[in-house]
Amino acid sequence: MGEDPKLGALRKGFLEFLVLRIISGSTVYAADILKKLDGTDFATQEGTLYPLLSRLRREGLLDYQWQESEAGPPRKYYRLTAAGQRQLAEFDAYWARLNQTIDSMGT
Amino acid sequence: MRQVISVSLNGRAYQLEDDAHAALAEYLDRAARALAGNPDQTEILADLEQAIADKLERCLNPHKTVIVRGEVEQVIREMGPVDSGAASGTVHAGAPADAAAGDSGPAGAAAGAAPQTGTAGSKRLYQISDGALISGVCKGIAVYMDIDVPLVRLLFVIAAVLSGGLAALLYVAMMFIVPYANTPEEYAAARGLPFNARVLVEQAKLKAAHLADVAAQAAMHNHSPEARAQWKAEWRKARAEWRQEWRRSRAHWRAYRWAGVPPSPIPPTPQPPLPPLAHVISGLIWAALGLVAVLVTVVWLLALFSLITTGAVFDWMPFHLPLWAAIIALVLIYQAVVWPLRAVRHGLMPRFYGYAYPWHSFWDGLLGVCLFIFVVWYFTHHGHDLRQSFGSLQESLRPAWQQLVGAWQTLVQGAH
Repeated sequence: MGEDPKLGALRKGFLEFLVLRIISGSTVYAADILKKLDGTDFATQEGTLYPLLSRLRREGLLDYQWQESEAGPPRKYYRLTAAGQRQLAEFDAYWARLNQTIDSMGT
Repeated sequence: MRQVISVSLNGRAYQLEDDAHAALAEYLDRAARALAGNPDQTEILADLEQAIADKLERCLNPHKTVIVRGEVEQVIREMGPVDSGAASGTVHAGAPADAAAGDSGPAGAAAGAAPQTGTAGSKRLYQISDGALISGVCKGIAVYMDIDVPLVRLLFVIAAVLSGGLAALLYVAMMFIVPYANTPEEYAAARGLPFNARVLVEQAKLKAAHLADVAAQAAMHNHSPEARAQWKAEWRKARAEWRQEWRRSRAHWRAYRWAGVPPSPIPPTPQPPLPPLAHVISGLIWAALGLVAVLVTVVWLLALFSLITTGAVFDWMPFHLPLWAAIIALVLIYQAVVWPLRAVRHGLMPRFYGYAYPWHSFWDGLLGVCLFIFVVWYFTHHGHDLRQSFGSLQESLRPAWQQLVGAWQTLVQGAH
């Protein structure tokens, strides 16, 4: 890693937002989320993702159901709840506002 | 030569070299500590185990069945350190504590923290040679379908005679096709139970460490005969304890099937053993109830047979029910009769399991063998005229039934 820890803290906050976005597209399972994030600035590992998913589920933003997979044991497929959709919309609005603010502060 | 340790990751078995196992155990223990206080700790650990299992799967092929340390380390690097899962503001507090905790001896802490992960395992058909008469096919089917073994054997013999040996061929075919349950994981899978071998492995490690201590002491005492004798005694004691633990945890899975006790906690040390006579009596009652259940089932099957072929239960049909309703009623009656029998039978078990199980098993096996021999003898002597006698059996039962029906009708009329 060895980057600016300030940027790291920023990323951590955004990860939740990104995960909600990925799940809002279609029902996905954990490996799909990791694949999507892989190669971006937000590349994440299981050790971080699973606790995050479980917390989001506890907060009622997403839930999951077990689905059989063609290879191996059944997998958990995640999708957003109504509360999750609302939270994501709030995030989106906030993000747009934030962008505007940042742009308007620049010289 | 390296030692290999079997572990179960979320219900699937993997073979790890001992140092690979140590690395994995340390990672999972650190994960468990990082998640301490998280209400979803068990679930997250199960998810992590599943992800590790998926990654380990890549390292295996038919010619390479054992995981080495380098592969485990690679997988752990891919997994990354486990987050506490708390809201993002407090994440950093966990990290240094993690690193510090990782330095303290992993083996000692492992036994205490060994998480009871694993969701309900998938059920698979195995042959079970433990308590088998021939090859264990019937035992495996009985365990898979959760019914009594003598019943399966009886049905197999009847099917073999009625089908002119076809079922016997089927048995032979299954002997070769259906795999044997060899490992505890497979025994658990035969019953559709999750099994986490880590608990047992950690116990074994603790015992081994204790033995090493005793051995070191013995070495210090210049191999005096007393020290060596003490070491031997300790070793024997540990081995006996280990076996007992093994038996107890196996009986525990069985209890899970019967009493619905979840398999997570290894049961507490059992009460002092009952006098042998009580063992024998409880085992006998247990086996006798099993026999009664089998007989009830046979009568029920005959009733079902006559209902389907003649449209009436031994020529008797109350209320003129349609066939489907009559079959459902018959099934309900059967359940109502057999359920208390099974409940009493299985109620006898949890009190004794661990100690009296061998007796229960013994009587059950003995009765099963007697029944088996009797059925074989009966069919070889009377098999050819069985089909005719089935018709006359109904004839001979009819007066009794008519009496019953008459009693029922007077009862109903009396009620009006």
